[in-house]
Amino acid sequence: MSSADVSALGEFEQVVLLSILRLGDDAYAVSVRDEILRCTGRDVSRGSIYITLDRLETKGYLRSRLADPTPERGGRAKRYYALRPRAVEALRDSRRALVALWRGLEGVLGHA
Amino acid sequence: MTPGLPPIVRIFARFVPADLREPIAGDLAEEYAELRRHRGTLAATVWLWGQAARLAWAFRWERATRGRGLPPIGDELRSTSHMWDTIRQDVGFGFRMLRRQPGFAAVAIFALALGIGATTVIFSVVDAVLWRPLPYPAADRVMALAEQRPRESRWFGPVAPADFFDWRRDNKSFASMAALMVTAPSGAFNLTGAGEPERVKPLQVSPAFLAVIGVVPALGRDFLAEEEIDGREQVVLLSDGLWRRRFGADPSVVGRTISFNGNPFEIIGVLPPHFWWPSRPDVVVPLALDDHDRTLRAAHFLEVVGRLRDGVSPGQAREDLRLVGARLSQAYPAENANHAPNLRPLRDAFVGDVRPALLVLLGAVVFVMFIACANVATLLLARAASRQKELSVRRAVGATRSRVVQQMLTESLVVALAGGIAGLLVAAWGLAAFRTIVPAQFTTLPGIAAVGIDGRVLAAAFGLSALTGMIFGIVPALVASDSRIGTALTEEPRGSSGSVRAGRFRAALVVAELALSLVLLAGAALLIVSFRNLINVSPGFQPDQLVFTRLSLPGARYGQHARTVAFFDALYERLRAAPGLQRVGATTSLPFDGADSRLNLVIEHKTTAFPFPVRLHPRIVSTEYFQTMGIPLMRGRAFTGRDTDSTPNVVVINEAAARRYWPNEDPIGQRISLGATDDWRQIVGVVGDTRDEGLDAETDPAGYLPQHQVFLSLGNAFERTITVVARTTGDTASAASMLRTAVASIDPQLPIGLVRPMDELIGDSIAPRRLNFVLVSAFALVALVLTAAGLYGVMAYAVAQRTREIGVRMALGASRRQVLAMMFRQGGTMTAAGIGLGIAGALLLTRSMRSLLFGVSAADPAVYLGVSALLAAVAIIAVAVPSSRATRIDPLLALRE
Repeated sequence: MSSADVSALGEFEQVVLLSILRLGDDAYAVSVRDEILRCTGRDVSRGSIYITLDRLETKGYLRSRLADPTPERGGRAKRYYALRPRAVEALRDSRRALVALWRGLEGVLGHA
Repeated sequence: MTPGLPPIVRIFARFVPADLREPIAGDLAEEYAELRRHRGTLAATVWLWGQAARLAWAFRWERATRGRGLPPIGDELRSTSHMWDTIRQDVGFGFRMLRRQPGFAAVAIFALALGIGATTVIFSVVDAVLWRPLPYPAADRVMALAEQRPRESRWFGPVAPADFFDWRRDNKSFASMAALMVTAPSGAFNLTGAGEPERVKPLQVSPAFLAVIGVVPALGRDFLAEEEIDGREQVVLLSDGLWRRRFGADPSVVGRTISFNGNPFEIIGVLPPHFWWPSRPDVVVPLALDDHDRTLRAAHFLEVVGRLRDGVSPGQAREDLRLVGARLSQAYPAENANHAPNLRPLRDAFVGDVRPALLVLLGAVVFVMFIACANVATLLLARAASRQKELSVRRAVGATRSRVVQQMLTESLVVALAGGIAGLLVAAWGLAAFRTIVPAQFTTLPGIAAVGIDGRVLAAAFGLSALTGMIFGIVPALVASDSRIGTALTEEPRGSSGSVRAGRFRAALVVAELALSLVLLAGAALLIVSFRNLINVSPGFQPDQLVFTRLSLPGARYGQHARTVAFFDALYERLRAAPGLQRVGATTSLPFDGADSRLNLVIEHKTTAFPFPVRLHPRIVSTEYFQTMGIPLMRGRAFTGRDTDSTPNVVVINEAAARRYWPNEDPIGQRISLGATDDWRQIVGVVGDTRDEGLDAETDPAGYLPQHQVFLSLGNAFERTITVVARTTGDTASAASMLRTAVASIDPQLPIGLVRPMDELIGDSIAPRRLNFVLVSAFALVALVLTAAGLYGVMAYAVAQRTREIGVRMALGASRRQVLAMMFRQGGTMTAAGIGLGIAGALLLTRSMRSLLFGVSAADPAVYLGVSALLAAVAIIAVAVPSSRATRIDPLLALRE
């Protein structure tokens, strides 16, 4: 797959992947969106969450499973997401790249 | 569905990939339920609608780019960048499709290029001539004033000097008013003094002229009010062109003296380069009328222009002038009864009769454009139909309808823009061609020199092509995308029903094309018949082998009758001896030359009051003029050498005069007096009418006076212009050199004008009509070709569509003839409908062309029959070729397909 060669993850893709990691077993679209809002203060549109999840799955970074339908969802299943190993690998690569770039710049940019 | 979750979600769910629908709907339901608990049902519902719409939108864009390698960027702004990606993708795809179907691309682009090119050319001409402002400040405040004689259906005639002076004094509406001398093209000045003698074109104006049109001299000063007084008028303003050509743009020319017709004139200034007047004068001089001329009310020879006062509308000025005119009619009933001032914007005066011709051309070219568009639309439709399967596949794998429409629209826009670019090339070529064929009369139109492709024209051309692409692409796109997913895939590959709507739309387009073509053909045919009628009109003389030139005798040296007579006698003498010249004559007013003066006529012993003005065009002619021109003598005698100033005064009238003033009696022997003076002349002959003002104009009464009996004082105050005509046996060039030699041998100081064949003058007079009919015919031909192509395309497509059906019919025993009849019924219905609609439209529209027609009614049955037959014949061929192909279908092959 060609996208596997593209090592760099998009910024928003990193945000989504990290949120899923943080959420563990409870990662589905609504909770991912809430987590992003809680951690970064960004109110992201639902559409971009769904689309990004869909893309990341297509690219082979995520796998998903349908949970059993629940009554509060009108009898609809919930789709949970989890990272595949190569997503973890890609996140590590991104982090390494960023840390390397940040190194030595604390004096200029200050500590976050 | 969750109880309480509105059905809107289901609608929007269509835009969401199937495998995500359930979890997304579940997520929405979850949040919706919570929101309803906290904020109420209404707020929750509004929120849900908004979310559903946003999601649908997001997925719609996502869908648009499905199947491409996605960039690894997940930013939320990507929808706009996606949009551009999509467009780029569609444009690229459009080009690839065009490359794959070069035939379609070529025909569509060719049709559009013709349509857009022709429209652009005519639009730029119409824009320049009719719509762009005249090159004067606040040009819409400048009016042309004229005298109307409603009884004679003359609405914008020249003005008599006394009337002009009274209008100028009595009106309350004009800030300034000026008169101009109507000079025939012959009224040139002999410029001598600096270098070679040269004939220059003068414009004689009242001193206020430049103030009226708002022009200030670039050098020197304007005229002074007193310079319109006879004797003070010998000052001149040079045109920028003459100043540069003759005086090397030397600013010190101001104050210098030059000589016109032997009279000294002081150069008081130079006009700016942007100064423009239809006659394109080389010099502007004051119009000084002597005390006699100032009192003339019956001799009409002035043009008048005026600038409206601030706040005065043209309507108010018209009313003001009407009152002034009414007072004059009362005060001078003999001359001014049934006369009234009239006014119109200056541009209308300049453009005059050309306006209807130009508008007809614009209409014709717009029709061609429509036909081209309809043609492209039928092509697009047929192509869309042939791509039904491809589109079905697209939709089956998830393309939305709007996505398909967008792609098809982009493709048609690509075609339209390609057509637009090709059209501009056609237009550039067409404008260059137009400049070479533009008739001489058109060069006096405002803006004609500046006709070209400018920003406005460019915008119009590209706007037109984009609009074409949109309008004529949207229906095919909608029709093509209409197929429900799967229908086209499962149905037989060439459905006999196809798309009924698409078929109807195609048929409607072809009917429209046929109708538009018929209107154009009818218009063209009417113009062609008019032109044929016109050139079959005899001018009343023999124009072939006739040449003419103009001579201006300077008043300073030819101030006496005897001197003038001696000059001409010597000239005729020499020319008669010249080899190659059969006859030589001279006149003050050559037919087709535009000069026009009229004198009141008194008929001796006549007491009957005529219900029309009793006037004659006076023409001073040489003895041999009638023979030279080939004007036939109808009764009595022509002039002879014995008609001199010592014999009784005589006059020869034309048939129009005889018919009008002596309807039931013989005019020979009657005595008349011209110009209300006691100058009695006996009518000795009647000659045939000449078409003086053009082949299509009625001949006015005219009286011919022998040159030896009348001092050449008519016309211009300080020069005597006469036109010499000669019948040659050789060519114009040798006649010209003989004329030049003869004149130079008598008076070396006297320059002669251009020597031109008489045919050319007549040709000039019909050139605008020729241009009109040539252009409209060319447009009609293009329309015919495009329509035939459209009809052929539709029939060929119908045959292809019905291959299977035809195969079945033939397998079941239908004869070739029956199949042919079936196809002809289809084509024939469209043709009949198109011709019927076209005739109705043509009858309606050609009425506006009446002023352009000659000797043919706008509803001429023969014309309509002829063009209908032509169109039907072309339609039969366009139907026959694909239909006969249909009958050769092998039933077995057709069924297997």
